[in-house]
Amino acid sequence: MTAPEPVPAPPGDVGSPATGPPETAAARAGRNNGELALTVLLGVLGVYLVVDAGSIAVPGSASNVGPRFFPYLVGGLIIVTAVALGVRVFLGDRGPADESEDVDLTAGTDWRAVGIIAAAFLAHALLINVIGWPLAVTLMFGTIAWALGARGIVRPLLAGGITSVVVWIVFVKALNVALPGGTFLELATSWF
Amino acid sequence: MDALTDLAAGFADALTPINLLFAFIGVLLGTAVGVLPGIGPAMTVALLLPVTYVLEPTSAFIMFAGIYYGGMYGGSTTSILLNTPGEASSIMTALEGNKMAKAGRGAAALATAAIGSFVAGTIGTLLLALVAPTVVDLAIGITAADYFALAVFAFVAVATVLGASPLRGLASLGLGLYLGLVGTDVLTGQERFTVGVPQLSDGIDVVVVAVALFAVGEALYVASRLRHGPVQVMDASGPYMTRSDLRRSWAPWLRGTALGFPFGALPAGGAEIPTFLSYASERRLTKHPEEFGKGAIEGVAGPEAANNAAAAGVLVPLLTLGLPTSATAAILLAAFQGYGIQPGPTLLTTESTLVWTLIAALFIGNTMLLVLNLPLAGVWVKLLRIPRPYLYAGILLFASLGCYAVNADPLDLVLLLLLGGLGFVMRRYGWPVAPAIIGLILGPIAETNLRRALAISGGDLSVLVDTWFSRIVLLLSFLALVVPIVLRVVRGRRSTPEELQETGELRHHETAAANREGGEGS
Repeated sequence: MTAPEPVPAPPGDVGSPATGPPETAAARAGRNNGELALTVLLGVLGVYLVVDAGSIAVPGSASNVGPRFFPYLVGGLIIVTAVALGVRVFLGDRGPADESEDVDLTAGTDWRAVGIIAAAFLAHALLINVIGWPLAVTLMFGTIAWALGARGIVRPLLAGGITSVVVWIVFVKALNVALPGGTFLELATSWF
Repeated sequence: MDALTDLAAGFADALTPINLLFAFIGVLLGTAVGVLPGIGPAMTVALLLPVTYVLEPTSAFIMFAGIYYGGMYGGSTTSILLNTPGEASSIMTALEGNKMAKAGRGAAALATAAIGSFVAGTIGTLLLALVAPTVVDLAIGITAADYFALAVFAFVAVATVLGASPLRGLASLGLGLYLGLVGTDVLTGQERFTVGVPQLSDGIDVVVVAVALFAVGEALYVASRLRHGPVQVMDASGPYMTRSDLRRSWAPWLRGTALGFPFGALPAGGAEIPTFLSYASERRLTKHPEEFGKGAIEGVAGPEAANNAAAAGVLVPLLTLGLPTSATAAILLAAFQGYGIQPGPTLLTTESTLVWTLIAALFIGNTMLLVLNLPLAGVWVKLLRIPRPYLYAGILLFASLGCYAVNADPLDLVLLLLLGGLGFVMRRYGWPVAPAIIGLILGPIAETNLRRALAISGGDLSVLVDTWFSRIVLLLSFLALVVPIVLRVVRGRRSTPEELQETGELRHHETAAANREGGEGS
């Protein structure tokens, strides 16, 4: 099955059964602007590699196969691939979207869930060193479960809280992995 | 035989109570995580990497052996009991396995998969033990230019032969090679593409990229198109194997093994093609053609054996040449490097004990899987029923743990999210993820060998085709690059698993227009 056009799901649509309209063959044959943009970005990356490789300092002792050679090669490969793929995509070629057990390929894209999850993950990354890993991850777990349609607020937070504390104790106390626990949990478990 | 003596010594090291415990934990964790929907073998290994950080190498690799085979087996349980497509290598198992489960023969399907995995894993691991010393003998005289040629072959094969679209594979490979370039050049100490961020001068950690592309990318992608409504899990019901099931299964097990191991051992490895071939040949050879498409046990036994034999075969180039040919192998290589061990032709001499213990642990883990899986089938069914919001929130929780544990730096988590976004769009547009992982890990090794070869020749590029070995390998790489593209233009796309189930023939479509009609590659 091919990727449907990115259709933003209306807010509040999470949880209702996905009812994406079956696409017609004509719609599928259309150009995929999202992938075209991705291919252009790939081309830009290739140009950046080639240009920036020129500014890598080459120590005097190195011969002509210094640290610039391979980046030029990779940059060249990326540019050629991006141009060829760009032409194919422009002409309407589409890759098969990845299949997975829980993916409904006929559903429209739920950008709201993706956005919330990304924001929750970013927030937890910034909070870890402030409130500790277990609490930061509990908040993230609760938000993500909610965004994916879990019922209630208490249960997701409770599930995340128990999981994170258990994982923290196993990894920090038994396996000695460095993971900030937050003031309270570190005090409470300092007798271990 | 020399190999058998070494293997016996490996068993002696692995068969201590504490190491058996590590093998057991590995098998249990590997299967449990592998069973979870949306988590393939590569993601299983990437997510469980932090568990081994604190262990010493021998215990860690014994555990890895269990995780590796456990993850493989867990994936096929998922595809038999869930009526939805999973990772590429177990799609073929799912075709008939699912039908069997629907017809109330789920237990028999799981049993033939478990015993088939055991048979294939045991034969495959034995072949690995016998073949590895020979390959090392052949590889010991290999030059830097030869090695570069091999790396190029692995790049091209992974990018174009596997997956639905060669160009998208190359694009993914390019991204991985770029990520591998970021950091300090090992030979001259110059920083490359670090954009002034000091943390990047050590390079981007492989674990971060693997967890990002697999776990975070997958979670974001699934979130964007989550299948809502109740989860449909089939019961592992019915009798275990009957006498007739066994009679119909043993030959497919052996044929699947024979197909899987060589394909896995080739640098064009991966389990996708041999499982495909196994299904097609079982369908043609069966005495019960009317059952295919309705739950034929041969269609589970063959592909599942091929899948596991390929998993063992993949370890041949990994342990003898340091050449990863699947995403899972690439992550295993990263784990080796994490312990300061560089797999290559010298590994079997310098780390002999470790390698033979690892191989012995593969045998042990494989046997434990057989003993564990039949009685635990009910537990795996319960795991499959985990509500999806909790499952994907949990995957991200463990992604955060694995990534933060590497350097204890929140910046890694931001990088994880950015690369996870990349994994998301790649999945969305059908860019395969495996070539990126291979490019990231093999890229720096390829560069080092290329520059070593060119330094010896004083910059003369003809050194790259100096030996017959490198000439042949580079020619094969060229063919692997061009033939799939030409085939695609001339004959259209490859048939999908569903079409294979209908007709039992691997075929190519008449026109490229069919490509758009069906829209699905294989």
